[in-house]
Amino acid sequence: MKHRYPLLWLALHRRRRMLIALLVGMAVFEALIVVITVTVSPQELFAGGGRTPPGAFKAFSGSTGDVSIASYPGLLGGGLVHPFWIALQLTVIGSLAAAAVAADVESGTIELLMVRPISRNRLLAERTAALALASLALNAVATAVVAVGVLLSPQLHQAVPLSGVFVAGLLGTAFTLCLAGPALAVSAASSRRAAVIGATIGFGAVGFAVNFVALAWSKAAGLRFVSPFHYYTPGDALAHGTVPWGSFAVLTAVGLLGTAAAFRLLARRDLAP
Amino acid sequence: MSENLRDPAAAVIDVGALTKRYGPTVGVEELDIRVGAGEVFGFLGPNGAGKTTTIRCLVGLLRPTSGRVRVLGLDPVADHRRLAPSLGYLPGELRLYPELTGGQTLQLLADLQGAATPRRAELCARLGLTAADLRRAVGEYSRGMKQKLGLVQALQHDPALVVLDEPSEGLDPLVQETFFELLAEARAAGRTVLLSSHVLPEVQRACGRVAIVRAGRLVTVQSVAALREVRARRVRLTFADGAGPRPLGAAESWSPRWQGNRVELLIPPGEVVGALRGLLALPVEDLTVEEAGLEEAFLDLYRTPTDQSTPTDEPGEQR
Repeated sequence: MKHRYPLLWLALHRRRRMLIALLVGMAVFEALIVVITVTVSPQELFAGGGRTPPGAFKAFSGSTGDVSIASYPGLLGGGLVHPFWIALQLTVIGSLAAAAVAADVESGTIELLMVRPISRNRLLAERTAALALASLALNAVATAVVAVGVLLSPQLHQAVPLSGVFVAGLLGTAFTLCLAGPALAVSAASSRRAAVIGATIGFGAVGFAVNFVALAWSKAAGLRFVSPFHYYTPGDALAHGTVPWGSFAVLTAVGLLGTAAAFRLLARRDLAP
Repeated sequence: MSENLRDPAAAVIDVGALTKRYGPTVGVEELDIRVGAGEVFGFLGPNGAGKTTTIRCLVGLLRPTSGRVRVLGLDPVADHRRLAPSLGYLPGELRLYPELTGGQTLQLLADLQGAATPRRAELCARLGLTAADLRRAVGEYSRGMKQKLGLVQALQHDPALVVLDEPSEGLDPLVQETFFELLAEARAAGRTVLLSSHVLPEVQRACGRVAIVRAGRLVTVQSVAALREVRARRVRLTFADGAGPRPLGAAESWSPRWQGNRVELLIPPGEVVGALRGLLALPVEDLTVEEAGLEEAFLDLYRTPTDQSTPTDEPGEQR
């Protein structure tokens, strides 16, 4: 890989320590969620006040349907939309999307790379592949830990089909693609890595907030369609084990459109610090 | 006065009416330069004059706003993948990946070049980059060592055209000698070299012709020999009355530099007699006139009496 795809290798090699730390962090976090879910049943967790949790809390279980956070799929789904999970995903996306173009332009190293016989498309393709691999690894770790937890715990296995875990992982990957595409477009047009990281965090944080507000306030319900969290529903996936193809298509399409825009923007711009 | 090549077909570098703007800021404007095969061509100007902008247009990093750029007969942006195998480039502000070792850096850039590197070992040896140096992270390198690495990466694949932006920055005198030997060898081997610099002695020593740019515009293209011939005269006057600096009438145009009762002016050859007529009306005690060095000839081209403007600040040359 090092000699055949040097730009991909470079992007991953330079961030290898950060990526390893994030992967370990994701594994530990999801393991913690599984342990908590198994140790204290959802009914015990949420039955204290004698009331069911408000509907807006579905935002915290990754559901837009019938899955309450006071259920095993809801709690496990909560681990897949938790701010910590979001922060890990955004760190990978922001860092590697910035590394695609903007970071090299900002630091001036782009001058050494792009006077070689490589096209701008190849630069972006290898850097997009690096981002995709890192995101895939992060989602694979989260999925694997939850799958092991479901397999080892009979009460979890009864409430959550194993296929649901993998569907949730698939949706997680589509969700990261959805955020990565626009982040790559910002990187392709920008000369500052801070702009890319800021935009990535903005997409994620604003998306989550908009979805929560839309669930909590009926007058703003229409806003949910502009949030990626409306389409990323791991709680529903864990409960039912079926792929919501419509949502999956929306997340994938946004990611692909953003990536296509990145290629177009990069082809037109100047490449100098 | 200009000694630009007349035949574009014979030019390895053919730049015609090149203009590059960054929004309202002009990087270069209406620049015309032609460099022939086998030339070591100097590109002179102060920081911010437009040298780096021009070079980035030549290597395909920047798209010209207007004008024609052909390098080895190719458009540097549209034909980038065909042109780049023949290019060796050292950026003016060399930035490397600090966590990679010197060896990893050279290998990475060779992999991207996709060509053999027949000269790497020889160049490392001649520039004093040892195997131990190449095993160290670039972040630990001194500026001079980074520059050596930059020279090796630019030359290791033995390119037909070498573009060097401020190449001797940070090199110690011994390594500079080696650098000049490499330039002489490149010329002898029929390679073409574009050498951008604001250090006149290195241009004087290495180049046959030079283009001088100021505030984004071409001032002149001349052979180094011709530049010497038109160089200014340095006129020194000492006044007898001890009154210090005073108005010098028309000679104020020649940027007088005062030191007590003494003043020094750089005056173009054809203007010396006229200027002295006015100056000798003052209480002059002593007068010397001598030929200025090449450096003064160069500076003289920046000090035209009518032009008090400062060079354009451009994004690529803020140092």
